[in-house]
Amino acid sequence: MVNPTKHVGQPMKRVEDPRLIKGIATYVDDLRLPGMLHAAFLRSPHAHARIRRIETGAAKAMPGVVGVFTGADVNDQCGVVPCAAAIPDLKAPKHTVLAGERAYFAGHPVAVVVAQNAYVARDAADAIDVDYEPLPVVTDPERAIAGGSPLTHPELGTNVAYVHSVSSGDIDEAFRGADRVVRQRMVHQRLTPMPIEPRGCVASYHPGDQTLTLWSSTQVPHLVRTLLPGMISVPENKLRVVAPEVGGGFGAKLNVYAEEALCAHLAMRLGAPVKWIESRRENAAATIHGRDQIGEYEVAVTRDGRVLGIKARSVADLGSYLQLLTPAIPTLTGLVLTGCYKIPAITMEIVGVYTNKMATDAYRGAGRPEATYLIERLMNLIADDLKLDPIEIRLKNFPQPDEFPFHTATDLQYDSGNYQAALKEAQRLADWPALVRQRDDARAAGRLFGIGVSTYVEICGMGPSKAMPAGGWEWGCVRIEISGKVTVITGVSPHGQGEETSFAQIVADRLGVPIGDVVVLHGDTNIAHYGRDTYGSRGLVVGGPAIVMCIDKIIAKASALAAHLLSVSVDDVEFRDGRFVEKKKPDNSVDWARLAGEAYIAKNLPPAFEPGLEASSFYEPENFTYPFGTHIVAVEVDRETGDVKIVKYVAVDDCGVQINPLLVEGQVQGGIAHSIGQALFERTVYDENGQLLTGEFMDYPLARAHDIPDYVMGSTVTPSPGNPLGAKGVGEAGTIGATPAIANAVMDALGPLGIRHLELPLTPERIWRAIGQHAGVAAG
Amino acid sequence: MHLHLIYQLPAPRERVFAAMTDPAVLQRCIPGCEQMIKDGEDSYEAHLQVGFAGLKGKYRGRARVEDRRPPESYTLTVDGKGAPGFVRATSRMCLGEKGEGTEVICDADVQIGGVIAAVGSRLLDAAARKMADDFFRALSRELTPMSAAQ
Repeated sequence: MVNPTKHVGQPMKRVEDPRLIKGIATYVDDLRLPGMLHAAFLRSPHAHARIRRIETGAAKAMPGVVGVFTGADVNDQCGVVPCAAAIPDLKAPKHTVLAGERAYFAGHPVAVVVAQNAYVARDAADAIDVDYEPLPVVTDPERAIAGGSPLTHPELGTNVAYVHSVSSGDIDEAFRGADRVVRQRMVHQRLTPMPIEPRGCVASYHPGDQTLTLWSSTQVPHLVRTLLPGMISVPENKLRVVAPEVGGGFGAKLNVYAEEALCAHLAMRLGAPVKWIESRRENAAATIHGRDQIGEYEVAVTRDGRVLGIKARSVADLGSYLQLLTPAIPTLTGLVLTGCYKIPAITMEIVGVYTNKMATDAYRGAGRPEATYLIERLMNLIADDLKLDPIEIRLKNFPQPDEFPFHTATDLQYDSGNYQAALKEAQRLADWPALVRQRDDARAAGRLFGIGVSTYVEICGMGPSKAMPAGGWEWGCVRIEISGKVTVITGVSPHGQGEETSFAQIVADRLGVPIGDVVVLHGDTNIAHYGRDTYGSRGLVVGGPAIVMCIDKIIAKASALAAHLLSVSVDDVEFRDGRFVEKKKPDNSVDWARLAGEAYIAKNLPPAFEPGLEASSFYEPENFTYPFGTHIVAVEVDRETGDVKIVKYVAVDDCGVQINPLLVEGQVQGGIAHSIGQALFERTVYDENGQLLTGEFMDYPLARAHDIPDYVMGSTVTPSPGNPLGAKGVGEAGTIGATPAIANAVMDALGPLGIRHLELPLTPERIWRAIGQHAGVAAG
Repeated sequence: MHLHLIYQLPAPRERVFAAMTDPAVLQRCIPGCEQMIKDGEDSYEAHLQVGFAGLKGKYRGRARVEDRRPPESYTLTVDGKGAPGFVRATSRMCLGEKGEGTEVICDADVQIGGVIAAVGSRLLDAAARKMADDFFRALSRELTPMSAAQ
């Protein structure tokens, strides 16, 4: 018998934290290898330019410089940067590891210097003289697809990368039957993920056994190992990729970057390890950005607020080239645009557009925050137009709990849900009637006070292999060592999600061993042979069941050995609290230490019994998981300055069964912090010449400690029927639920002034100007 | 970025025009200018060391005088680059008589790129004004008879 709740469900502190807090964890930049060289990249200052000539003589002559390489030196020896997204009729530029004849975004790597130390490398990169001929620049994605625009890639003949259409239900009928059509244009601004640790890698080639090891600050060591052999001439089974401690990813490190391939190539070419550590400015300019969609949205509704259909057309700014999943991200928006509502008809057309900017790709939530923001703003606009309560209109359109699994118009199968319960719990925690009174009193006193609600559902646990470009299964291995200690190896690659803790909780309970005896290994392809890594809230949801499968196999195997050692039949053995016990004679039992010893010493095994106590498994999810929740936010806007103060923040998230509520809370808190930034401060800005204007924290304001309110956190638990843990995933919930809740709160506060909609971020300047325009007060 | 700047100089237009197109004067008056070599008719090669937005850097570039109408006006184009990025500027310089002296009106379009744009755009306006102020202050000293005698 298993005691499944001794550790599972407990808010245990992370075993990862002591080493992180004490500064004794190993990040890529902590690696020092004998003879290690350092790379620095020269990046184009132009958004679009022909490269006429690159003069490297002065750089090469500098003491300490080992080599200077341009596109002409490396592009024919390294494959192009891979894109794994399968989009029909996708037009894609060949993105070589260094710029070829043209540089097409500010930050595009043009040359790389390798030197004996990082400072010489940087100075030498600055000594390279490039003769650029500036070319016309494309920055506005809407103008890019209007007639007469310059082209980001003249060889493609168009700035349109693809047109993706989602269509389901009878949209014409929906709009014919509507009492009202609500329309809004919305801009989802470009964001910079800004992990605290920028990217970086160390590549080392062993000429004797011809193996290459790449340490990289990545979320996806296994995807890198799968894709890098297509870029450099090292076979997959001679390539080891290690993700050591990773200081934040948020999707920005869900990628295979040119710098990784180049460092690997140069380590082989120069016969010495090569390290590259990205600077903050490089990170802002040349690590993927997120979001960036502009669209026109129309909703057909009945008089009483039932949503009949959505028509959407959106332009997604992909930037200048495709990283791993660039074109797929906006298509996720279409997939989940109906949100947590029964909306029978939808059409959405997404036009992916090339501009002379850094590529966009997955950033925390990846396509789903865009969808949730759109539908949740639209629900409020509908409520405003129809003079209905925003809560009432949501309840009116939710599927009922007994309608799950719920089939959406976009052909998703929501696994389980009780949206009403989460909303009700959030209202309870927010003390809803008192909060509404507080707002009404503030309004009566002439203050700008607003309440915002968002109810969300998201797609997690990515995912069923048929829906994922490179397979969506996960691999795991559990080994009872000869000493009885337990080693767990997972193919997911945690970098803050805490699976060293949560997996140990699961394993300790299921094997009945002390949690301190369980070690979870990950992030090294020589240890975790296979995996699909960490993104899309999949670590626990897809990685966890693979571990559970291993445990089941080991217990079955150990039962046979125990029966042999106890001299009874397998049917008479019961597993209970870490011991295999003869059912009728509980004194007759063996523990893991004895079983493991016998299994490996292998002198007294049943016939045909394979030595060892180890099992590995691939878990293939049948469906995604669909966590959901309700966030309620109260804000007060300063009429004089436009400054937004969050007065109350209530988050109720249902991520299914919680293995460790402390980890859940941490994930939601971090996600909300990201969202506060998105809703109120953050915006990646390029000027009309394609120059990035937000290259560091002075210009790209993340939310700071004093911007973060006290959160009131709650949860409901609706287990996922799709996996043995009942878990749904929670890595992105905060970024998905929070942004529209904050936006709705600010718009509620500004509603009495006649302000219907403002774009994000809701900066003091934007709000102050709007107040000035609507109040007829001169804004200065 | 567009700049519209007006300066008063204590000398007649002819002298101001001559000074503003004299490489030796320019080298003395442009902040951070280490070298200004006339390398063609109305063309100069310049080496500058400038600190901007906390980024000190060496810039190399070419300045050209175009549409020369002494002593009334000319257009100055500057194309410079350095490790922190590039600067391109076009400025129409109009010299008007103002009493004994000259009023210079410059209308400049300035474009910067690379790291200086990414971290310094918010400072560009103030920095460009300061550079121009410093230049015209130095030029004013050049043109003041007393300082010439010293």
